[in-house]
Amino acid sequence: MIRRIIDFIIILLFVWVCMILGLWIIDRVIVPMNLAGVTNNLLSAIFKVGISAFLVLIWLWIWREIVKRSFWHAIKKQQDY
Amino acid sequence: MLNETLIFASGFAVTLSSMPFVIRTMRKKGIGGIDVHKKDKPFVPEMGGIAVLAGTAVSVVTAILLFPESTNAALSFLACVFIAGLVGAVDDFKNLNAKAKPFLTLFASLPILIMHTYNPRGVVFPFIGQTRMTIVYPFLIPLAIAVTSNATNMMDPFNGTMSGSCTLITIFLLLSAVILGRSSALLLCLCLLGPLLVFFYYNKYPSKIFSGDVGSLSIGAALGAISVIGGLEVVALVAFAPQIMNAFYGLSSIGRLYERRDVSRPVMMLEDGRLMATKDPKAPITLARMILARGPLYEREAALLFLVVSAISGFLALATAYLIVVTT
Repeated sequence: MIRRIIDFIIILLFVWVCMILGLWIIDRVIVPMNLAGVTNNLLSAIFKVGISAFLVLIWLWIWREIVKRSFWHAIKKQQDY
Repeated sequence: MLNETLIFASGFAVTLSSMPFVIRTMRKKGIGGIDVHKKDKPFVPEMGGIAVLAGTAVSVVTAILLFPESTNAALSFLACVFIAGLVGAVDDFKNLNAKAKPFLTLFASLPILIMHTYNPRGVVFPFIGQTRMTIVYPFLIPLAIAVTSNATNMMDPFNGTMSGSCTLITIFLLLSAVILGRSSALLLCLCLLGPLLVFFYYNKYPSKIFSGDVGSLSIGAALGAISVIGGLEVVALVAFAPQIMNAFYGLSSIGRLYERRDVSRPVMMLEDGRLMATKDPKAPITLARMILARGPLYEREAALLFLVVSAISGFLALATAYLIVVTT
């Protein structure tokens, strides 16, 4: 029972830390970025939103992969026993 | 403090007194489902959400009488919950398809949009602070309500998991509202908490009543409405992590919206009554299946594990609320 809880704690903590880190990167790195060759403010904003959205998609993908691999690893381990 | 206690107590009392009547009536009319995770497959009456709606309505009216300045927020909340409940009731009787239900729950957000009871500037994030999403945010609100109500609807594999996890989410949203000083969110959480506690008492293992879609869709919409009206979007996102995990992995492993009856079963029951994750690669990877991946469990144990996962997310939600306070 404890091992199952630890599995979920690890996944949830990892996902939460990634979310906080992602928000920090958006705030400190992406928003203050000066895009070389882009002088139009609207274009610059669209570009930054696009990068942020891409980061979110990567976050969701990492989350999905961790769960998928963890699930099939647990199933395989159970079969081996 | 007395006023807040009265709001909580009014909803609690109405749901407590109406639930036995709903159970008897639904059993008499044959409105219910089979509890498939029990060896004797008992009939359990459904649509317990009706008593939750009744209690929530009374607590909202009490809140309006005691705090008249919250009238708009409370009314838009109640209307949102009732619209979602109506969609759920239609589904309970008519079995809507997998695309119709999420589409119809989009309309539950209309009261919030029409009465303008949301923060027009948008979401507050940790580190980033208050965003300026004045154009985009109103378009995200219908999605938020539809996602929370349908994710909650998908999160009811074992006795007491939906009611228990939603009760925990409400408690953690209430605590986050205190940390962040969001009085609307605090009041609305109190309106919902009393009825939810009563429902959890009757729905926990072994269930005496199921929520029906009238209950799960309306409770999910209520939590979504609290996060939008109360400005707790990011906190709710973290608290809802188990529901999001359950819905997201189920959808991504199947590749489309689906009804439970249309796909391979993710969980099966053994001879001794324990539940086990199936090894069928076509079955959705739900949270229930993930919990059982390490080996079979009795339903009571699996349900408890669900609540532990919800509690962990709740504590992370509190940490998020605290981060918002210290970094913005």
